[in-house]
Amino acid sequence: MGDSDRHNLVSINRRAALLGSLGAGVFGVLSSRLYYLQILKAEDYRALSDDNRFNFNMTIPSRGRILDRYGNDLAINSQNFSLVLIPERVKDIEATLLKLKQVLSLSTSNITRIKKNINKHASFVPVLIKENLDWGTFSRLNFKTPDFPGVIPQVGLGRSYPNDGLFSHTIGYVGSPSARDLQGDKDPLLKQPSFKIGKTGIESSADKLLRGSSGKLKVEVNASGRIVREFPDGNDAPKNGQDIWLTLDSELQKKAAELFGNDSGGIVVMDVLTGEIRTMLSMPTFNGNLFVSGITQKQMDELNNDERRPQYNKVLAGGYPPASTFKMVVMLAALEGGIINTKDKIICRQKVNLGNRTFHCWKRGGHGPVNMRDALKNSCDVYFYELSQKVGIENIASMGRKLGFGEKFNIGLNGLKSGIMPDPKWKKLKLGANWKLGDTLNASIGQGFVLSTPLQMAVMVARLANGKASLTPNLIIGQNLSKFKSLDIDPSHIAFVQKSMLAVCEEPGGTAYKKYGLELGKLQIAGKTGTGQVRGISEQERRSKLRKDEDLPWKLRDHNLFVGYAPFKNPRFAVSCLVEHGGTGSKRAIEISRSILKTALLRDGISAGKEIKSSIATNV
Amino acid sequence: MVFPRVKKLKARLLQMYNLLLDYKKTTSKFSEINWLLVVLIFGLGLVGVAMIYAATGGDWLSGARQHFYRMIFATFFMLFIAIIDLRLWYTISYPFYLVVLVLLISVDLMGVTVNGSKRWVDLQIVNYQLARIQPSEIMKLAIVLALSRFYHDLPRWRVSSIYGLLGAFLIIFVPMFFIMRQPDLGTTLLVAATGLSIIFLAGIKWRLLASFLIFSIISIPLFFIFGLQTYQRERILTFLDPTHDPSGASYHIIQSKIALGSGGFNGKGFMSGTQRQLEYVPENRTDFIFTVIGEEFGFVGSLSAIATYMVIIGICVWLSVQCKQVYSKLLILGFTITFALYVFINLAMIMGLAPVVGVPLPLISYGGTVLLTVMTGFGLILSAYINRDSKLPSSKFKN
Repeated sequence: MGDSDRHNLVSINRRAALLGSLGAGVFGVLSSRLYYLQILKAEDYRALSDDNRFNFNMTIPSRGRILDRYGNDLAINSQNFSLVLIPERVKDIEATLLKLKQVLSLSTSNITRIKKNINKHASFVPVLIKENLDWGTFSRLNFKTPDFPGVIPQVGLGRSYPNDGLFSHTIGYVGSPSARDLQGDKDPLLKQPSFKIGKTGIESSADKLLRGSSGKLKVEVNASGRIVREFPDGNDAPKNGQDIWLTLDSELQKKAAELFGNDSGGIVVMDVLTGEIRTMLSMPTFNGNLFVSGITQKQMDELNNDERRPQYNKVLAGGYPPASTFKMVVMLAALEGGIINTKDKIICRQKVNLGNRTFHCWKRGGHGPVNMRDALKNSCDVYFYELSQKVGIENIASMGRKLGFGEKFNIGLNGLKSGIMPDPKWKKLKLGANWKLGDTLNASIGQGFVLSTPLQMAVMVARLANGKASLTPNLIIGQNLSKFKSLDIDPSHIAFVQKSMLAVCEEPGGTAYKKYGLELGKLQIAGKTGTGQVRGISEQERRSKLRKDEDLPWKLRDHNLFVGYAPFKNPRFAVSCLVEHGGTGSKRAIEISRSILKTALLRDGISAGKEIKSSIATNV
Repeated sequence: MVFPRVKKLKARLLQMYNLLLDYKKTTSKFSEINWLLVVLIFGLGLVGVAMIYAATGGDWLSGARQHFYRMIFATFFMLFIAIIDLRLWYTISYPFYLVVLVLLISVDLMGVTVNGSKRWVDLQIVNYQLARIQPSEIMKLAIVLALSRFYHDLPRWRVSSIYGLLGAFLIIFVPMFFIMRQPDLGTTLLVAATGLSIIFLAGIKWRLLASFLIFSIISIPLFFIFGLQTYQRERILTFLDPTHDPSGASYHIIQSKIALGSGGFNGKGFMSGTQRQLEYVPENRTDFIFTVIGEEFGFVGSLSAIATYMVIIGICVWLSVQCKQVYSKLLILGFTITFALYVFINLAMIMGLAPVVGVPLPLISYGGTVLLTVMTGFGLILSAYINRDSKLPSSKFKN
């Protein structure tokens, strides 16, 4: 071995040592990096690792039920049969959907929605194919599941409304949140798939209470977001929505709907002691379940094309002339103002001339001389035309407001109308015109500008029946517990009006007279009829005597009204009933009201019930 | 002119045959094998089996078992190579290099594209496929063999001459060019670094080395702009600035750092790594397997693993020192450097110190090709050590 060779080998060794120490340096760097990551920063990274590992998933509270006063279900969460598809477990989605079409109906728009949802989420997230399946389809699907790998029948909770839509106007219905709902309400629950919020009625106005609040569920997720394990913790459970108890009586409501039959209108039954609404029905109703499960265009058209307007809440949102039922207001205004003595008579000659206008009484030939009591009993218009001129619109309007006209009540619902209790100031403001005496005459018989809702009329009778308290209606048990204000009307005047109303119903000749009308022995009913004119009556018609309401097309017939309460002594319930285009004479409204008051009294089992039984016993 | 050549070739073949027969003699040298090295290598392989088992969620069949069998086979293969006379390797250094180069070029011409890279070539007779091989992997071996032979034959005074520089440059650059075209940045850099290290070890003048380094520093930006594929550029940018993350590439680094860091001092325990269980670290069976060690065995486990690698590297350097031939010295050091670069690049990548370049952790990561390359390298290292005293033909250029 030459010298040069040895030199060469030594040089290689030297340089290898150099590279070796370089390697040792790298080793040092790597070790210190490990020290930094695993010792110095260990806590931080452990936290990050837990962040990775655990997620908090939202758990959905179950929606509160809506119940009637006796705990009967009005809105419940019922089993909802649905079908979902887990994309990652389906080999050929297209073919599967085609095959499913043979078992259940799937529209093209359904299929496009399904496909859109499949693409939107990770492939293990179930996509809804169809919900609200009927039991037959669902069981058939369960049977056929082996033919559809990745398609899973599920039982979930959905909102449902028993009672065939009897409460639809009050309770409303739920639906998927709209873009506007999402903007206004930042509750993350709204973003959960298939989460529904109240759209109308109590469902909407008490949505926050019914909804509850979401819970958290600690879950371990893997990198692709799949849940690997769940760690339930009692503290993080969702707060379920509160049940809401309504003052309504579903049996009474059912009875009311039966009585209405196919007629259109509305009825309110109120407790005259507490203001609780026992029945509130707008007819015809619609089935709220349709809106939950997704209403078809055909069903929607059917609802929209019905001239009886099923979706419209006539009781709260309708504006109807109170007609003759308003006469009690004029009476009280006159008595309170000391303007007339109850015994004073006014002669009715069927018409009153005012300038170039003529105001008619409904009775051909007039009533002749009538005092106040008879004027109400016979519903003489001329008496009130004359009286109102003396009382003046200001007094009438203020008494009207005292009795609830023009007032928007807070019963925990949205969409209530205030109606119109007109006075000169109102006319100036709204119409820019001066009040005319003729307007006062029209108002005196509840026509003209006066508009009210059946609820307001019910409140009026309830206040008259109660006599002392300025009752306000109450729909939700536990709400509006504040004491009523005093009605502040002379009790003797109230008593006089009450007796006049009794005469209407219980004295021969009264516009609502029927012997033992209530069919509850000695128990008597007091009330007042009304005929709301839908159109003006021409002079020619009046003369030709041809105007018979029954001959007119339905749309042009008069509205039937009746307001009343029973029993006359120790009043319990007030009723206000409107039958749209029910024809002159208020027969339908009276029938319905009598019957519903009877049922209400019989159902009211405790104090009044005994009295009823004893009175029946003594009578028979 | 023809006859002497044929004669020469015949003599070569005879010589090779004799070398193979010499194998009987070398068996007696079996005891000369450095068994500590073998045990450490096999031990790391077993660590790999355990880690693959953990990484696959305790599934013996999706990698662990295969790695175990491969490890046993590769160990025997390594020992087999170790006892072959070094003179055989010396003789075939150049032909081997040329064959691999041809294969590498054929990848470029008719390679199989997998995951956007053309790295594989199918060896087939007519239509019967024999094997699908990755010539760039074999090139890592071939280049070390060829360079060692080149410098063994080259007198020291010519190392820094034009001839010496050009020869080494050709041996390194030609395969590098084709590997880069595949594209395979990791292997390209590995080959370049190994080649440069051997040139350095062979005794290139410091002055030349310095000027080359300066040249490289200047040309890196140019290379970055013109020489790289878009995805490679993204990876480097992501490394330099983790917020620059158009493709989610830094996700790998972040998650792997979380896995390591959350292991803490002791680790979460075997089979208890949550990052691993929940599949947050991608490729944790292959390139990112060190994260499983770090997460489940903590600082203690990962430092032990690194230390084992360092001991292996140290033993190899020590083996080279004892060799008395330029060829065997450079051969051992060349393979050691390749091995060390694998380890360092992989670990630096996992700890967020280097860009993600797709270099596995040798011996532990799942994957057959790299294992075979590394084990063949160790076989050659052992062979060179066993034959540390045997005479190799001297250079014809000697003085």
